[in-house]
Amino acid sequence: MFNKRRETAQPDSQNSMLLRRTLFLMIVCGIVAFILLGARLFKLQILDHDMYESAAVEQQLRQTAVPAKRGTIYDRNMNILAMSASVSNIYISPAEIVMYDEDPAMIASGLSSILGIDYYEILEKTTHTESWYSTVARKVEDDVADKVRAFKEENDLLGVKIEEASKRYYPYGSLACHVVGFVGSDDHGLSGLEYYYDDLLSGVDGRIVRATNAYGTDMMFTDFEDYYDAEDGKSVVLTIDETVQYYLENHLQTAAEQYDLQDGAAGIVMDVKTGGVLAMASLDGFDLNDYLTISEAAQERVDKADVHSEEERNTLIEAERQEQWRNKALSDTYEPGSVFKIITLAAGLESGALKMNSTFYCGGSIDVLGRTDPLNCSNIYGHGNQTLEEAAMNSCNVAFVTIGQWIGAERFYDFIHAFGLFEKTGLDLTGESDSLWWTEDVFFNKGNLSQLAAASFGQTFTITPMQLITAVSAVTNGGYLLEPYLVKEVINADGTVASQREPKVIRQVISEQTSKQCCQILESVVGKPNGTGVNAYVPGYRVAGKTGTSEDVVYEAIHGEKKYICSFLGFAPADDPQVAVLVLLENPGPDSIVVASGAQMAAPTVGAVLRDVLPYLGVEPEYGEGEEALVDQRVPRLVGKTPEEAQELLEEAGFTLKETVGSGAAVTAQMPAPNAKVAAGSEVVLYCGEQPSTEPIAVPDLLGLSYEVARVRAGMYGLYVRGEGTMMESDYILTVDQSEEEGTMVAPGTVITVTLSDWTKTGIF
Amino acid sequence: MAAKVDNAGTYDNARLADYTYDNSIERGSVDVPFAMLTLLLLVVGVIMVLSASFARAYYDPSNTTGGNATYYFVRQALFALCGVGVMFVCSRFPMSFYRHISGIVMMVALALLVLVLVPGIGEKANNARRWINLGFTTFQPSEIAKVGVIMFFAVLICKYKDKMSTPRYGIVPFAAVIGIVCLLLVMEPHMSAIIIILAIALVMLFLGGLPLYWFIGGGTLGAALLGIGYALFPYVRARFTAWLNPFADASDAGYQIVQSLYSIGSGGLLGLGLGNSRQKYLYLPEEHNDFIFSVVCEELGFIGAMLILALFALLIIRGYWLSMHVRDRYSALVGAGITTHLAMQVILNVAVCTNSIPCTGISLPLFSYGGTALLLQMAELGIILSLSRDIPEKR
Repeated sequence: MFNKRRETAQPDSQNSMLLRRTLFLMIVCGIVAFILLGARLFKLQILDHDMYESAAVEQQLRQTAVPAKRGTIYDRNMNILAMSASVSNIYISPAEIVMYDEDPAMIASGLSSILGIDYYEILEKTTHTESWYSTVARKVEDDVADKVRAFKEENDLLGVKIEEASKRYYPYGSLACHVVGFVGSDDHGLSGLEYYYDDLLSGVDGRIVRATNAYGTDMMFTDFEDYYDAEDGKSVVLTIDETVQYYLENHLQTAAEQYDLQDGAAGIVMDVKTGGVLAMASLDGFDLNDYLTISEAAQERVDKADVHSEEERNTLIEAERQEQWRNKALSDTYEPGSVFKIITLAAGLESGALKMNSTFYCGGSIDVLGRTDPLNCSNIYGHGNQTLEEAAMNSCNVAFVTIGQWIGAERFYDFIHAFGLFEKTGLDLTGESDSLWWTEDVFFNKGNLSQLAAASFGQTFTITPMQLITAVSAVTNGGYLLEPYLVKEVINADGTVASQREPKVIRQVISEQTSKQCCQILESVVGKPNGTGVNAYVPGYRVAGKTGTSEDVVYEAIHGEKKYICSFLGFAPADDPQVAVLVLLENPGPDSIVVASGAQMAAPTVGAVLRDVLPYLGVEPEYGEGEEALVDQRVPRLVGKTPEEAQELLEEAGFTLKETVGSGAAVTAQMPAPNAKVAAGSEVVLYCGEQPSTEPIAVPDLLGLSYEVARVRAGMYGLYVRGEGTMMESDYILTVDQSEEEGTMVAPGTVITVTLSDWTKTGIF
Repeated sequence: MAAKVDNAGTYDNARLADYTYDNSIERGSVDVPFAMLTLLLLVVGVIMVLSASFARAYYDPSNTTGGNATYYFVRQALFALCGVGVMFVCSRFPMSFYRHISGIVMMVALALLVLVLVPGIGEKANNARRWINLGFTTFQPSEIAKVGVIMFFAVLICKYKDKMSTPRYGIVPFAAVIGIVCLLLVMEPHMSAIIIILAIALVMLFLGGLPLYWFIGGGTLGAALLGIGYALFPYVRARFTAWLNPFADASDAGYQIVQSLYSIGSGGLLGLGLGNSRQKYLYLPEEHNDFIFSVVCEELGFIGAMLILALFALLIIRGYWLSMHVRDRYSALVGAGITTHLAMQVILNVAVCTNSIPCTGISLPLFSYGGTALLLQMAELGIILSLSRDIPEKR
């Protein structure tokens, strides 16, 4: 049968064409095409293999950061200024909620009641079923996270997830805010020490590298996972003392209120022996836990401003934020004014141009080569003949211009350099500004001494407060210029000490002898009744210092009104200086209780700081003759004692007995109350069986009186006083403020705080 | 018997005799190499479906498998078993049977192509009606149309045998049929099916003896149409752009291509090992379907991929070889047509996976997941086995 067919199947042209064409297709589709595809595969899999493999691996591997715990910031006594606490982020995986058939409504209502977030908001998130990650709440506290965890486990929910995170806490709120600084939402420092020491504090994040599917979850049967441990951040211990910082901020705040400061204030407390910064503050401060919120006053300014769009408003708010975040003590430069005479004094004595027994005549002004008009002194009638000590006490410009000229421009310039005033101090904090000085060719001009003359009393150049206090510390501590610092110790995560900072002496600028001489002269400025710095006097302590009042000439040129920066730099004890305090009060307003001047405003503020800080630092007071009587005393507890015993105790404590009301055998009540701090010599009333009167008393006018008169006058009304400000025996020291205004009704025995000040000292120059 | 030959001769004057039903009882055995290659590729294909699909089946982003990792594999394996049965059954029918039903197959295909356009019968997905749902499974009428075109054209070519060089017989009837089919496919629309069917039709005409100048003219016309399409339709342009530089838009237009290239390229010489593809973890789309070959490349490497391509090449060459050795003209045409269909799908699929041509949805025969498509492929290969039985001395 097949044979028969073969006979009939004679190949003709049609059949051979079919054969040929089939053969052609066989070659094209069976061989050629496959060779081409093979070549293509060779290119992709062999030649370009590395490129595609690395690209594929990159998309397949996920890195999960394991956040390192951020270190703690401690003050010098290990009080915590900044710390990180672990918190949790709560998120849901809508895709897994669907995958495991979980009830979105139940999840939403559960999370809503635990987290206090709107039910529908969470429910809405569950509808994005393609998503594997939808944040519900960020940075929730551990106790809340535990509730979520319990809810999750109770209902066996795989679509609800808890992720570890950390949150920064600042237990003291606004304290030392400009020094400590804050972190952003990524837990990295944005300002202050948080920023400066960010690398140290943040440590090194660990990471988990693993292969995942396209949705970022696991890759089954693929156990590829690499783990790199996190290295927790180190902690830092500051030279800042929380208590000193509190005193400084507190007194700056008082000054801001009393003197109606328009532009805030700045202050630094420095350990002159080490260069360690005990406190550094700027007003206004802000709460580190809420650093984006601007102060009420700033908010008011923004609200009042003439803005037309949300954008403009935000620009204003941002400007206010930048303003409140600025560390004035380090970032602002100013003309130090008369405080700078400390440097001129030291340079003069060290160079030999000035002797301790040099004398000066001040006729109210002095001619300076290169100036058309003579330079005026603060006292235009002239200070007359003065010793060096008197010239300093008077803050006499004429005398200090003369000292400057004796030193000579070149030598003066060398001293400025030696005191480190051309460079940044090197403080371990960001934001330090550069000083600005006339260049050598201007300063050294033989035919024009006006720059030298102005520089001699602190004008025509600008420096930062930090530079000034660092230089003055060198004057007081025996002549050693130190590099100021804030971090004295670094602690590892395991608690061991990583490194300790030793005070770093940059150079010795003046001799110990010169230093002693300067301290002696500067002590007279505060300690003698005629000194301009008398308002910084603290009974029992040998305070030295120098006043300064500078005008912001740039501000005046722009705004057409005067702006003063009242400053004072004080240190104590003068025979062995330990601590220096610099205070700058900016732009006192019309509601100030005293005249705008360093002597009237900054000196009492520094005095108040020293009065708190010196005892705190363990410096023992040494009272001179009659001085103890100037110090307020605590009223002893007399209740239960016999009247005789009580009187004895009172007199021991420096008080007198006014009267004994009633005839009981024992004291049943006393006025003022036990432990009240009142002026020494106050007259105490004892009640033996009788009840003290509760009839309110109108507060009398206590202003413009000496402390003693104020005490007696208050006593006449059945009230008591305690003193603040300049507690010194002097005819010029009078009360300038009282805590309860005249006419206020108060209970009998109330203690009125009066502020004393030498109102005659202007110390503008 | 002679009378029956005469009967057959009323519609076929070929010198090659036609077989009749009763000839079948005298037929030889099926071609063992072709059958073995088919079964080997089918087994490898089913294994690759398991490997490629289990990640998607497990994660189940489209909510079809219920997280059952072997969902796709089990289905494909069952269809593969059925497919072997279908192939066996098809190999039992004589070729004369297929010639008889050719017209009917074409008519059924056309009817189904019309039915699929009816909403309620045809299922709409991605803005196209390509599927008919039978309840237990779905299928694409276009797959049947491909077989229909091969069988029906073979009959027409046998009929017009000597007149194939004239436009009246060589072009017009074919153009009419293919025109209707293409029109129906455009209405679905189904671009890749049109490409395959046009390619099959051209190959059938080529085999049928249409003078070559028609192909030159047709090629020019095709290129011109492509140019017009490129100029007129933005999505065509987008396809070309994505083809020429897939990395320019790797997350959107170029996504499939880029992921496929990552898979293939990561494979290297020896591959990551069977089951170890990483790209199949939801990075590579259609990984158990149109892009299954990319997973093959990633897991089995250049060597494995070349081996599988070699098996396909051998199967194709054997298919043509069988077509060349069968003495019945209809069988030769149908055999070459089916082999070409197989070759087109393999070549175009691999070309798409390797970004050698612009991306279009073409499945890989015996590998890609899809039950009815697999059954039809097995039926087509069964027809080749059937014709192989008419070859007396196989080498």
